[in-house]
Parts: sequence; structure tokens; C-alpha cells
Amino acid sequence: MNISYDWLIEYLDLNLSPRELAKYFDQIGLMVEAVKEIDGDTVYEIETYANRPDTLGHLGVARELAALFGLPLKSPSWPLAELDRLTTELVDIQVLDSQLCPRYCGLVVKGVQVGPSPEWLKRRIEAVGLRPINNVVDISNYVCFSLGQPLHTFDFSQLKEARIIVRRARKGETLRTLDGQLLELTPDMLVIADESKPVALAGIIGGEESGISEKTTDVFIESANFDPVSIRLTAKKLGLMTDASYRFERGVDINAAPLGAKMAASLLGQFGGKASRGLLDVYPNPRKPKSVPLRLKRVGELLGIEIPEEFVVRTLTALGLKLNEQKPGVWVTEIPSFRVDLEREADLIEEIARFFGYDRIPTEVTPARSFELPADERQDCLWLLKEILFHYGFDEVINFSFGDREKEKIWHTGYDPIELQNPISSRASILRTSLLPGLVENTVWNYNREADGVHIFETGKIYFWEEDGKQREEWHLGLLTSGQREAKTWNQPARETDYFFLKGAIEDLFFYLGYEAPSFEPEDHSFFQTGQAVKISIKKEPVGYLGLLKSEIRQAYGLDKLAYGAEFNLEVLFDRQPRPFAFAPVPRFPGVVRDLSFLVDSTINFQDIYSQLKKLNVPYLERFEIYDRFEGESLAPNQVSYSVRFFFRHESRTLQAEEVDRAMLDIISQLKSSLKIQLR
Amino acid sequence: MSSLQEKLEQYRQLFNDLAAKTKNSKEVEELKQTFLGRKKGYLTLLFDELKQLPPDDKRSAGEALNKFKTEIQQALSELEERCRRPEAEKPPTDLTLPGKKIYWGAPHPLTLFQKKIEKIFVSMGFSVEEGPEIETDYYNFEALNFPPYHPARDSWDTLYINDKLLLRTHTSPVQIRVMEKKKPPIRIIIPGKVYRRETPDPTHLPMFHQVEGLVVDRGITFAHLKGTLDYFIKALFGEKIKIRFRPSFFPFTEPSAEVDIECLACHGQDAQCRVCGGTGWKEILGAGLVDPQVFKNVNIDPEKYSGWAFGLGIDRTAMLAYEIPEMRYFYENDLRFLRQFNRK
Ligand SMILES: [Zn+2]
Repeated sequence: MNISYDWLIEYLDLNLSPRELAKYFDQIGLMVEAVKEIDGDTVYEIETYANRPDTLGHLGVARELAALFGLPLKSPSWPLAELDRLTTELVDIQVLDSQLCPRYCGLVVKGVQVGPSPEWLKRRIEAVGLRPINNVVDISNYVCFSLGQPLHTFDFSQLKEARIIVRRARKGETLRTLDGQLLELTPDMLVIADESKPVALAGIIGGEESGISEKTTDVFIESANFDPVSIRLTAKKLGLMTDASYRFERGVDINAAPLGAKMAASLLGQFGGKASRGLLDVYPNPRKPKSVPLRLKRVGELLGIEIPEEFVVRTLTALGLKLNEQKPGVWVTEIPSFRVDLEREADLIEEIARFFGYDRIPTEVTPARSFELPADERQDCLWLLKEILFHYGFDEVINFSFGDREKEKIWHTGYDPIELQNPISSRASILRTSLLPGLVENTVWNYNREADGVHIFETGKIYFWEEDGKQREEWHLGLLTSGQREAKTWNQPARETDYFFLKGAIEDLFFYLGYEAPSFEPEDHSFFQTGQAVKISIKKEPVGYLGLLKSEIRQAYGLDKLAYGAEFNLEVLFDRQPRPFAFAPVPRFPGVVRDLSFLVDSTINFQDIYSQLKKLNVPYLERFEIYDRFEGESLAPNQVSYSVRFFFRHESRTLQAEEVDRAMLDIISQLKSSLKIQLR
Repeated sequence: MSSLQEKLEQYRQLFNDLAAKTKNSKEVEELKQTFLGRKKGYLTLLFDELKQLPPDDKRSAGEALNKFKTEIQQALSELEERCRRPEAEKPPTDLTLPGKKIYWGAPHPLTLFQKKIEKIFVSMGFSVEEGPEIETDYYNFEALNFPPYHPARDSWDTLYINDKLLLRTHTSPVQIRVMEKKKPPIRIIIPGKVYRRETPDPTHLPMFHQVEGLVVDRGITFAHLKGTLDYFIKALFGEKIKIRFRPSFFPFTEPSAEVDIECLACHGQDAQCRVCGGTGWKEILGAGLVDPQVFKNVNIDPEKYSGWAFGLGIDRTAMLAYEIPEMRYFYENDLRFLRQFNRK
């Protein structure tokens, strides 16, 4: 909203320069976004709030400044040149829906000479950012930007049977508006009609036919009040927003309508206009002023500072409230009709704080009666997870939660995606069902910008419809590694990433997060090359997958290099309790180390061997390490050689060589039966 | 006997000479064959000679020979070990050459900044909560005292899923979810993603991050809100930062405030400043006392309890702190941008 300094002076004797005034607006919450000089006037671009329609006119802003500076608010008089005919003799006004139109005021002004506005009026109109049109239209805008009361002026001769009917539109009715659009009206919309058809869309825009033209001599002034919700619904439905609808949907002062009509009629008098006698005011259910209680004690309790009673009374009175004292420090206040926002005691306390000055309220530490234990360990867990991945050299990315429906199709994520009703673009029309598409896009972006390798991860949600039609959002972790991992240096060749780099990072992730080692089972997946993917589970519960990205997917994104990806459902992980940590005493007696090399059939994979070794039931066996594996060369094609180092220890004495020998024989015999090993 | 002892000494000498010259594992293997080879190894031959000695001499010679064999085996394994790690062994020619480095991944700047904010509040006894991103109109608007069809909703331009569901436009619905579950005292912050139907520009994107703070207890005042935010902002931007509270409007707080910090680009000295538009101030958060209607909506008695809440845009604040000109940098994920933040 543009506020003109010269315009404010009509209501207020300010003794501040336009520049000085600027900083006071901010203080009372009328945030100045820009200050402009227009034709010798100073114009403040002020941010107004949805609950303060009274500040959408200069009178309302002047009232705020008057309260701030303790200045009287001037009320200019609006003398009328009158006809000897009564308004009711000239025009018939019927309001058929007083719900949607609680008040309707009208006056007829005859003999107006339509023409360009005088300089003073043009300056006002330009100050608020409008283009002067003619004196009649400019006057109605002047009233609107003074009082915040939108007006509409009709060419009186165009109103059939001199009739105004405020009613809902009939099915199939249309209206050509002042700006030439043809609106199709529906029965939920309120219109101003004459005897035969709608002549204006109530509170939003007038019709072309009944608009003011150069030939107009007689003007009908409408100064009415319309239901905010109805105006908003109609304006939204038709995609219209006008200065009038903007004010009506916020709530216009119900008592501004008579003044609006008189003010316009008085100004039209400057152009030969003579007004009909007696304002026609259809106001079947006059509203009682709201009354709100106020306790001085409560003001101090909420603001954290005692506010003097005298200040409270003076400020609220200046803002137009009437205070009726019930007992000392307790009032029932009567709220002026222009303050649609004031309804509860808290609203009044805000007014007091605003004018007292937020900067004068002290700053104090918020006391705590108790400190809370962290409600959610996930946060810590998530951060630890990230730190492990930073350590592995993965950079963190954050992608938008949106997905491209077409592009996600090639992934076959298996989730029913959630579609947006009003997306920003068709490329962001669903919510993502996997983190990997985003990671692939990041990879391509970076390869196109000098990267030799990309190793990234993201933690974030995926979204989908569950079978029962409920929405679900799940925390996931996505990982991607591609290309060079270590650059060539003077003492080391460049190293490319590979499957085992990613797998190692994942294994460590589970280890350091305190979960048991997951199992990796080869299983094809729609994201990965056939035979190049594994399913990752904890205790048979799947938590994620890992593999070499499918070439079709890479091609679809223009990713030339190989890329390995993994994705985890963190909900499954976070729902599991990590293994409880328990301190184990440091061994006091030396251990014994024995190595064993053996051959197994190549159809037995590492994980099977590992799990059989895990199952060994042998005395004193503390742990084992698989330290070598090879195939080919000297071995038969169906054989693989493994070397395992076993660590033995007795907790309370030194082990005898014979005891370890026996344990080794035991191991060999157990492995012979479980894995059919052959000693080397 | 003496001839065998002499030979042993000669071989020891020879071994040491040859060992000093070995440069790689192939040469070490050759050396091993020379001395320990099954047929022609010098030591193997010496053991053959030992068999022919008279029993009296056999014992002492045998001991000397075994000792020598152990020596050689140990020396060979050390040599092998050395060859496996050549650069650690070879005396470097230029000690100013760069050392070996391990690349440490970079946290996303928004994660980093969020962490920083969390740390400050956690140190004041706040706990961290989260909530769903897909919300209902009730939690996102109605319970927060946005009347249906009210223009107040226009500043929270919404992405809808259907008539019932939407993407939360702020983290404030989590306030409601927490207050529904928990009795005061409440002392929480809520970081997370939020969504608006915004046309992208340098400071607006359809998705960004917010952190919400909420305190509910007996006797909470506006002065407490000011004190806590004052401390928080100083902890984040340094003790000398200038802060201003000015009145504003949010449906879910009353009184409401917006908090500005001095423009870090111009400190109010540049009337043409692109960061602050010459005002010298940058708005960083909205706050206020919890509206009594919000308390009523969650069955907390506003006569007994009061509270404050604030909401801050993490992205925009991080932009100010790190002097990042455009918000989109956060979501392009250009490694040349991201990797700068592993030094923060
Ligand atoms: Zn600046």
C-alpha cells in the first residue's frame, strides 16, 4: 500500500519531515519497504497485514500516527450541493441477500461534467500508483484510498428502471466488465443488477455498459459493505483481484459506507454535480460494537513489564476504543467498527505493546522449570551416520522433494507416487519415491562441470501412497559413487571407485551406528544391472539395496560413466535398537594366532563361508579374520582358496600349544562338514 | 670344522653385502634362493657338509648354522616387508613434497547451519522435534488460527495434494502436534523442510528449510521471547550484531514480532545496498506470544499458561551468514560450492 505524505497531512498536522517520518512507521509495525519521491510528494511503500484493512486507507494510517504522536485527528467536512429530490424518489434499492450485503448506501448525483481531474486529484491518484482516468473514477478511487471504503459509480442513465437489486447471479448470466472480460456467473456470486441484468460483480468489478463515460451526466454512487468470504471465493473463482476485492475480503468498516457516499457526492459537487437528498442506507441489522475485557495486570504478565495505566488508557483511546472501567485496572472496551482485528484481550495487549515500543520491553532469559531429555534419538543417529560418510569422502547433497513423473517411471521404484494438485511445473509434479534419481542428476551436473568423480549421499524423505490409500513419508539414505575417487599424485596413481568401496562404507555405517552386520544377498533390482545388485537385510528384514546402476537409467540421464548406488530405508533402521554398548575387560593373558588355508567350491560365496565361520563352536576361539582369497592360476576352475587367521585366548591363563592344536583340528573337522573344505 | 666356521663368516658377509643392494621383492626372492634354495642354496650346501662332520663337532657347528639360518630368515622377511612399502622405506629425496591426504566429505551448508542453530538451543535445554511434511489443512492452518478463506493464507501460498492434504507451508503445525501430545512445560525446536508455491527467484524457492521454536509454561512473557532470541542471534552472528524487534502479524501469535538484524553487507552504510535495499536491516525471523486461540485448540488453558514461538528460514539466514547471493546454490549441489563447507 502506497501512503502519501501530503495526503496524510489532510488528517494530521505533522511536524516531522517526510524523511524523519519514515522510521516511525516501522516502530508501530507499518513496515516501510521503499520511499519514493513522486511529483514533490513523498510516498512510502508500506507492508500491510491481512488483519488490518483499516491501514489500506490514509485515514487509518493517519490514525495510527496520531496515536503514536499524541496528535488530534482532523475530520474534514464534506458539504453537499443538493437537488430538491429525495434519493428514494430517484432510485429504488433492494437488497435481496443481506447476509452477503449487510449494508448498502446510495446517492444519485446529477449534472456532473465528466472530464479530466484537477491537478491535486491527479497527484493523489498517481501517488497510490494508479493512472488518472476521469474526475468521477478518480474521485471514487480517492475515497477508497482515503477511507479504505471501495466505491462504485454507475452511469445512472444506464440503470434500467432506475433500479438497484443486490442479489445472487442467476444460472447462465454473464457480465462484460469494465476491462472488457466476459464473466460467466454462478448462483454463489453476488451481483448488483438493474431491472433486467447484472451491472456489476458486487465488491469486485463493475460492468462495461453501466460504467462512467464521457457522455455521463448523472452518477449513481454505491458505497456498500460485502461479506469477506463471499468476495474472496468469487474473486478466486474468477481469477480477479481488484483494489475493491482486496479490501472487502479483509473486512471493510461497516460504518464507513455512509461517509464514503457523502464524500464522493461532495467532491462531485466541484464538477457541477448535485446530490439527491437523504442518503439511501439499507442496513437492516445494525451491528453492535464488539466489547473486549482488559486487565492491566494481564498486560504486565504477558509483556514482562508494568505498563502505566495512563499510557494504556491514552493509547487505546487514541486508537478509537472506549474504555469503561469496571474496577481499578479492569475495563470493558468498546471496539470501533474499523478495527476488525481486535477481538480478544491479547489483541489489545498487542496494541499497547506496539505503541509502548518493542524496544522498551526488557530482554530476559526464558526460565526453565525442567530440562528435557532429547525426545528423538534419530537426530543424533542421523548426524553420526553423516559423519561416517564424510569420513569415507562422501559429500552431502540436498535435493528438492519433487520428482519428475516421466523420469521416475524408468526407475520402477514400486511405489505409488503422490501427485501434486497445483505443481510449479510438470517436471516437479510428484513427490519423489526414491533418492537415487536426484543423486544421478547431481552426478551429471557435476560431471558437466569439471568433476572427475562424484561420491555423494542424501538423507531425506520419500513419499508414497500406501495400499490403504494413506500417505506415507519415509526417511531414506541414498548413496552414489562414480568415477575417480583419488586423484593421481606424485607418489600414487589415480584410483577409481568401485563396488567394494561403497559396500565397505555401508558395512562400516552399520558397524559404527551400533547395528549388527547386515547380510548381503545377490538379488536383481530395477535400479541395477542384472546380476550386479544385492539386497541388504538385518535379521532377514530388508533395509536397502546396492548395485551397479542400470545402463538404461544412466543413458536416460546422460550419465556416461559407471555409477554404483545404494538406498536405505532409515525408518527400519531407526526402529531397531542398536546393540546395547557394554564395556569388555581388556585381555590380561596373551592370545595365540593360527592360520588356516583351504579350498572351497566356488559356488559357495563369501557370506556363506563367513556365516559358517561365525557359527563355529570351538573353545577359546576369540575371533577370526579372512585375510586372503584367490582363484584361478594354479587352482581348479571350480575352486577358491581362502586363508583365515584364528585368534584364541583363555581369559584367566595362558593357553597351551596342544589346546590350540586340538581347537584347530576341531575347526577343520567342523568346516569339512559344513563347507566341504580341502586343506591346502 | 674351522673351514665350516670360516665359510659361515664369509657367507654372512656375502649375505649382508647382497642384502644391502636389494631394491625390490624380485631381488629379495633371488637372494633367498641363493642362500636357502632347496638344491643349491649356500646354506643348504652347508647343512649337507654338516652331515659329514664327526659327531663331536656336529653339535656346535649345527648350533652356529641354525643361528645363521634364523638370522637370514629374519633379514629376508624384513627385506620383503620393506619392498612391500617402498616409499615409506626409501629415504625421500625432497622432504617438502606434499604429504598424503585423505579426502573428508563436505556437509551440506544447510545441514551445517541447522546443526549450529540446534546446538545453541540444545545448550539452553531445548529438545529437537520433527513432524510430517504432508499435512492436513487443520494442522497447517486452522489450528494455527487461520480462518478458512481468510486472506492471511495468501502469504502462505500452498502446494496441494488433494482437498484434504497439502505440503506444510511452515514448521508451525508441529507446534500443534506437540502440544496435543504433551503437557507444559514445553521447550522445543523443530527444524525441517517446508514448501510454498513460489515462482523461483534469488530468495524464493518452492522448497526451503525452517526452524521453529516453542516454549510453553506458566509466566512466559514477551521479555523472555526477546531475551532468548537476542541470545540466539548473538550466538549465531556474534555479540556485536545489532538486532531490532518490530510489530508484525501472524495469525498464531499475539503480540507478533519480526526480528531484523543489521545488514552484514553494508552495516547500514550503503543506500544502494543490494542485500538490504538501503534500509540497513535484514528480516530474519517472525515470532510472538502464542495466540490464546492456538492454546484453546490444543486444550491448554491460556489463563494458566503462556508461551512464545518463533520461525526462522534456515536457507535465507545461511545466505546472510555466508554471503551467498542466491538460494538456488543450495539445491544445485555443485561440488565446487558444497566442498567449500568442509572448512566451516
Ligand atoms: Zn545493506
